Amino acid sequence: MTYSEVENVTGYIGNFKVTIRKKARYVDEKECNACGDCVKVCPSCTPDEYQMGFSTRKGIYIPFPQAVPSSYLIDMKTCLGNNPIACAKCQEVCEKKCIDFDAKDEVVTVDVGAIIVAVGNDVYDPTELDEYGYRSYENVITSMEFERLICAGGPTEGHFIRPSDRTRPKSIGFIQCVGSRSKKRGNPYCSNICCMNTIKDTVLLKDHYPDTDVKVFYMDIRAFGKGFEDLYMKSKDEGVHYVRGLPGEVEENPETGNLIVTVENTTTGKIEKHELELLVLSVGLLPRKDSDVVRQLLTLSRTSDGFLMESHPKLKPVDAPTRGVFLAGCAEAPKDVKDSVTQASAAAARANVILASDKLTVEAITAHIDPDLCKYCGLCVKVCPYKAITPTDRKKKIAPQVIEAACAGCGTCGAECPFDSISMRHFTDAQIYAQIDAILDTNSQDKVVVFACNWCSYAGGDFAGISRLQYPVSNRLIRTMCSGRVKDEFVLYAFRKGAPVVLVSGCHFADCHYIDANRQTQLRVEKLWDKLEKNGIRPERLQLEWISAAEGQKFAVVMKAVEELRQKVTAEEIEHTKEVLAPKPKKKPVEEAASSA
Amino acid sequence: MAQEADFKCLRCGNSFRAPYSPETEPQERACPNCKSNSVRRVKEQKEAPGKK
Repeated sequence: MTYSEVENVTGYIGNFKVTIRKKARYVDEKECNACGDCVKVCPSCTPDEYQMGFSTRKGIYIPFPQAVPSSYLIDMKTCLGNNPIACAKCQEVCEKKCIDFDAKDEVVTVDVGAIIVAVGNDVYDPTELDEYGYRSYENVITSMEFERLICAGGPTEGHFIRPSDRTRPKSIGFIQCVGSRSKKRGNPYCSNICCMNTIKDTVLLKDHYPDTDVKVFYMDIRAFGKGFEDLYMKSKDEGVHYVRGLPGEVEENPETGNLIVTVENTTTGKIEKHELELLVLSVGLLPRKDSDVVRQLLTLSRTSDGFLMESHPKLKPVDAPTRGVFLAGCAEAPKDVKDSVTQASAAAARANVILASDKLTVEAITAHIDPDLCKYCGLCVKVCPYKAITPTDRKKKIAPQVIEAACAGCGTCGAECPFDSISMRHFTDAQIYAQIDAILDTNSQDKVVVFACNWCSYAGGDFAGISRLQYPVSNRLIRTMCSGRVKDEFVLYAFRKGAPVVLVSGCHFADCHYIDANRQTQLRVEKLWDKLEKNGIRPERLQLEWISAAEGQKFAVVMKAVEELRQKVTAEEIEHTKEVLAPKPKKKPVEEAASSA
Repeated sequence: MAQEADFKCLRCGNSFRAPYSPETEPQERACPNCKSNSVRRVKEQKEAPGKK
């Protein structure tokens, strides 16, 4: 389904319902045989987006040569108008009568078992990098524009010319890492494809025009992968000049249109000036702006670089955190064609596992709602990162239900439920209270209760252990699947039992295994700080830390820091805390724990 | 220009200003001094008139 947009997605793994808007083409794609008679008579004209504005297209057009289906469509923003019909010349000449100005968008709903997100990427706009003169100098172009100019299907039919005077440039420079690997401007990450793309371009130039002087200005060339180093060597052997250093300034000679590039060659340590007839900025890749719509529809999350986050970087690299959703191509990270094809194949195979199954295995750790205790507040529905809880209706007294196939077991709903109506399988309230009891039953003043999430903080503790990093024995860990499971009552109960310090620890925001469940952790801890302060308890006694599985060092540092805090908590403070947080008569977690044990 | 707010580190006691926008909260923050994530926003003491 092309020329369409996804408007809504509901449901869960195996049972998604996707609402798609098929945009009106105004041309019957089944009848159109792409004869092109309509294009010849169309009077409207606009810059061709596919050719990067180097040529124009008509109001009726085929978006790009390989478009599927290969039929024309009318861009109503460019067309002179269909309501009322202002021109209709295309309609007059179309022998097959394919053109229908009354066509309307069609909204269709399809049932699917799995979804693959392959939204692609945007490219960096180097306008903000003043020193390179993009948009100031005609002969400074981006690598995307270069692709169009050298392509046989491009605006010049493969005759490579420079924009200012339409002559073939005899000296061409490439600047690498434009918009990539910079914390100040552009993006801090490496865009993965630019080095090899430039090397490919230089080989192409040398093949077509051996007399061209080609220079590449770079920080370092990342030619990893099968055959990449060979291509790099081939480029060098063919006479491409690699200059190690990124230019600090580009100036234009107004008479010739040539560009004077000033660069510090870090190999020789000298400032060099290079006169070039064309300069190509090797621009990096960005996450697609409109991918945010898909992200929200599918409850996906992003990594800190803005690309969609995979479920697990090593074990589930094509799975999205939402079950039944898979990622392919640059939606997940910048990657070349080969990697995109590999990931797409893997995503298709993973999706097929679902489609070929009669039954799906659900997570063992899921939430369960007791409808008798539920007061229909809907808080669980609101906080569930997976939309795995059906809506509640207070008036009709319809309790929410957990869709077990969609539930990932983070426990955020259980932590938020003010009526204790939600229990988490294998991580019940009673089990966690029992662990707190076990820690604090003896010498509670010497213990620090640490709630650590399974995927990051607890694993960080493991890493500290295998790294032989020492940390104080006073820290006692309670593992939860997600820090979002840590109910405020768990923390208060620990303080009531005499804990001098409590630490809640989870994944960094960008790493949360449960999309964004740890945001709820932070909000809850902030409320707890307020509550403690209101009751005359130092909020410092409740600590919050984000520790990844790779941060064994940080884990050890944090453990030492909380031990130092513990030593400053006086016996009087602990007694005062016990008094002010004394349990209300209704809540008897100790008995609950005891009975369940 | 980005809004800023006052924050206090609950580990080392360091006070600092950092970007803050209610629309984008919660955000992961770290104390510039000790790198702790136990960072609490210092709320204004006085509430708006008429507010409960």
